[in-house]
Amino acid sequence: MLIAYDAPKYRAGVILALFIMVAAPAALIIYQSFLDAPFFDDGVRFSLDAYRYVLTDSEFYRALGTTTLYAFGIVLIAVPLGGLLAFLITRTDLKGRKWIEPLVLVPMFLSSIVLAFGYTVAIGPTGFITIAFRSVFGIAPWSIYTLPGIILIGGLSHVPNVYLYVASAMRRLPSDLEEAARTAGASVWRVSIDVTLPMVLPALVFAAALNLLLGFETFGIPLVLGDPSGLLVLTTYIYKVNTIFGAPTYQVMAAVTVFLILITLPLVFFQRRLLRHARRFAAVGGKGARTNLLKLGSSGQIVALGVIGLWFLVSVAFPVGGIILRAFVENWGEGVNLLQQFTLANFKAVFEIPSLFRGIANTILLAAVGGGVAVAFYLLVGLAGHRNSGPTGTLLDYSVLVPRALPGLIVGLAFFWLFLFVPFLIPLRTTLLSLLIAYIIVGLSYGLRIIQATLIQVGPELEESARVTGATTFRTWKDVVIPLVRPGLAGAWAMIIIVFLREYATGVYLMSAGTEVIGSLMVSLLTSGAMDHIAALSFISIALTAVGMTLALRFGAKMHD
Amino acid sequence: MLSRRQFLATSGAIAASGAMSALPAWGQSAPAGYTAAYKEIVEKAVKEGVVAIYTSTDDVQGRPLLDAFRAAYPGIRIDYNDLGTNGAYNRVISEAAARQVGSDIVWTSAMDLQMLLVSKGYAEAYKSPEAANLPAWADYKDMLYATSVEPVAIMYNKRAMGSLQPPKTRAELIEFLKANKDALKGKVASFDPEKSGSGFLFFNNDARTTNDTWNLVRAFGATDPKVYGSSGAMREKVASGEHAIAFNLIGSYAIEWARKDANLGVILPPDHAAAFSRVVNISKGAPHPNAARLFLDFMLSKAGQTAMAGSGAPSVRSDVTEGLNIAKLNEMAGGKLKPIPVSEALLESTEPKNRAEFFQKWKQALRG
Repeated sequence: MLIAYDAPKYRAGVILALFIMVAAPAALIIYQSFLDAPFFDDGVRFSLDAYRYVLTDSEFYRALGTTTLYAFGIVLIAVPLGGLLAFLITRTDLKGRKWIEPLVLVPMFLSSIVLAFGYTVAIGPTGFITIAFRSVFGIAPWSIYTLPGIILIGGLSHVPNVYLYVASAMRRLPSDLEEAARTAGASVWRVSIDVTLPMVLPALVFAAALNLLLGFETFGIPLVLGDPSGLLVLTTYIYKVNTIFGAPTYQVMAAVTVFLILITLPLVFFQRRLLRHARRFAAVGGKGARTNLLKLGSSGQIVALGVIGLWFLVSVAFPVGGIILRAFVENWGEGVNLLQQFTLANFKAVFEIPSLFRGIANTILLAAVGGGVAVAFYLLVGLAGHRNSGPTGTLLDYSVLVPRALPGLIVGLAFFWLFLFVPFLIPLRTTLLSLLIAYIIVGLSYGLRIIQATLIQVGPELEESARVTGATTFRTWKDVVIPLVRPGLAGAWAMIIIVFLREYATGVYLMSAGTEVIGSLMVSLLTSGAMDHIAALSFISIALTAVGMTLALRFGAKMHD
Repeated sequence: MLSRRQFLATSGAIAASGAMSALPAWGQSAPAGYTAAYKEIVEKAVKEGVVAIYTSTDDVQGRPLLDAFRAAYPGIRIDYNDLGTNGAYNRVISEAAARQVGSDIVWTSAMDLQMLLVSKGYAEAYKSPEAANLPAWADYKDMLYATSVEPVAIMYNKRAMGSLQPPKTRAELIEFLKANKDALKGKVASFDPEKSGSGFLFFNNDARTTNDTWNLVRAFGATDPKVYGSSGAMREKVASGEHAIAFNLIGSYAIEWARKDANLGVILPPDHAAAFSRVVNISKGAPHPNAARLFLDFMLSKAGQTAMAGSGAPSVRSDVTEGLNIAKLNEMAGGKLKPIPVSEALLESTEPKNRAEFFQKWKQALRG
């Protein structure tokens, strides 16, 4: 193997392969958007009709407007709240912060469809919280089916993303400035506003850009909570143009996706620039500045724990409680005595129906084994990009952007076609491998980020000394870098397990009899409306995620980069 | 008290004899009434060993049919893919274009998409020996067969209705919505024709066959309406009391739900007794053509229809006694049951121009 001794060729090879893997589905979608029929149709022709349709459809503009409001709305909620939680947990002596931290991340690991459905059961018009509240206060003055309601729920569910970034920036800050301010008599809040905040501003801006991006791609929450009232966002609009013509109209779906790419790509670009600056900025603090924590005082503790408790109640306890409740009852709602409705039938059904049972088994396999394969792949890519600047480095950067800018549903459809029409991929189509490949691409930006963050922690001087003593790049990776990052890899694996457990959109078009997965089964059950089984599957999925999360913590997963 | 072993032996024997009596001669040779040559199809099908089904009927509802087929032909594996109506259509046309046909049987409730597949040449003609037992409207040129008759219904939550009296006919429904539009704000649901093929089929059929449909949509529109992509989603919201009443949902489902939940009421409006069917065809170039024929015949046979009717899809045959059948439904509708025929007329609703027109009217009426 020549490349084993030739790092530049290895780099170019891996990065090119990755580029082809991510560019193929994107190119197919863009190509499809300029056609007048499915790309595989006989007599298909180039046409701008799809764009004409979209650009003259008032619903598109309404969906675009709603999406924009949603994206900025969730930023306004998630960024301050996530920043506050990060500050309390990383910079203060908040009681119990060790076990609060993993809980803060919980909403991130639930698919948004599950979250939204849980909210319906908890605080929908006939949710159990709503009914209890109404019986005490006579009125329950909220509606989760309105745009503000959806924005609030979306914002709360995005808090963990902000938390991850801001907490990691805060951890890297030295505490001497804060201490100086404290000594000079400033209150904890003064310190946080005047000293800590300016220092983590780049991380906050970065988190804001990331959430803006996620906001434009949101699907599950608006699908479950907004659809019945006709509240559309761009991704649910795509869903709708798939049915409104009677037969699926791929060119229109593709055209909307192209608009989504046009909106999100600059955001991703901007975000990456910020990331570079944020890293540089935080590095100024130097490493190992183990900080002294700000003392909250007893009233501060109470306020802080109160805020966190309230956030936890609304963001985690409500939706998860809703799912658990629904999984164990036949009926719920106004005037229903829940105790009389207790049942295990929903779980019995899940284990008796072959496709649902297979879905659980496949999901575990795909998450655990597939997650390991994915981490190995991300490591190969990560090494190719490690300390690599120049054109292949830039190509890598951009390859990672592409899947971020595409909705999972569309990536799944594009992969379905690739596996159907690209000759050497055909044998894989009806196997779990097709799902694994698509999952790896969808999880790319996330997984690679974890790996890159782990790799960057290896001090360059260690690699340099290896090189000076005559080791090849490969030898250096094999004997220095990989052994050092091994604990980080275990953590990354556990995190990818959780990400793959949560995934739902990608498998919708790809799964066949025998290759069902929980997330996508839930989407297809949503169309037939079998809520009993969706709830039981969601419960199982949450339980699996809890196991994954426990493993992640056991392996010492870094929740931050 | 039976011992465990005795119990197993006895129940096994009962199950076996039950299967035998319900399925005379199936699996052995040509079923009664079939030509002697049918034996060959059975043999070839068993040799093919697999039948792949693309469907929109979920596993739970489909299972009794599959179990009955398995009992009759234990040697044939069933690959059952619940892909939804659009998913099934997408997969059929994509696979055909890639010359990798994966489906033997396509069985969905999207009557119009199924007819589109037939008209575009994705289906294989096959004259089922069971065709003679179906009504004429249920068999389109031996290419597309109706396997069920499922009425369009109104469902309501008795508790959430409070003092309101549920309407008994469609005409009453319109009056009911108009008279109680304030009390019903946010409490009325229906199918979303924009997001659901079934929803479109029902409303479009209504609009073409009646003259009160747009009145109904207007009355609905005044109640801050909620629309859903599936009957199951409506069930969840009606059963929980979030909505008091839903109309134009799949009645065969609603009847099943009401059987389990005494708080739900179902109305099959006698003045508007539309019904749709799950329709089936054999894919052109099916990888297991004989297994496909065998399965299709089984679906339409008395045994297959009995299994389906038992899980809530009323039989298209009047000689099936399990659950509901077309004759009983017609009786319930005062002799006015109007199943949507399996015919080329279904293609009208796939014409973009017709659809655009329908949606324009829909939106206008919804706005009031």
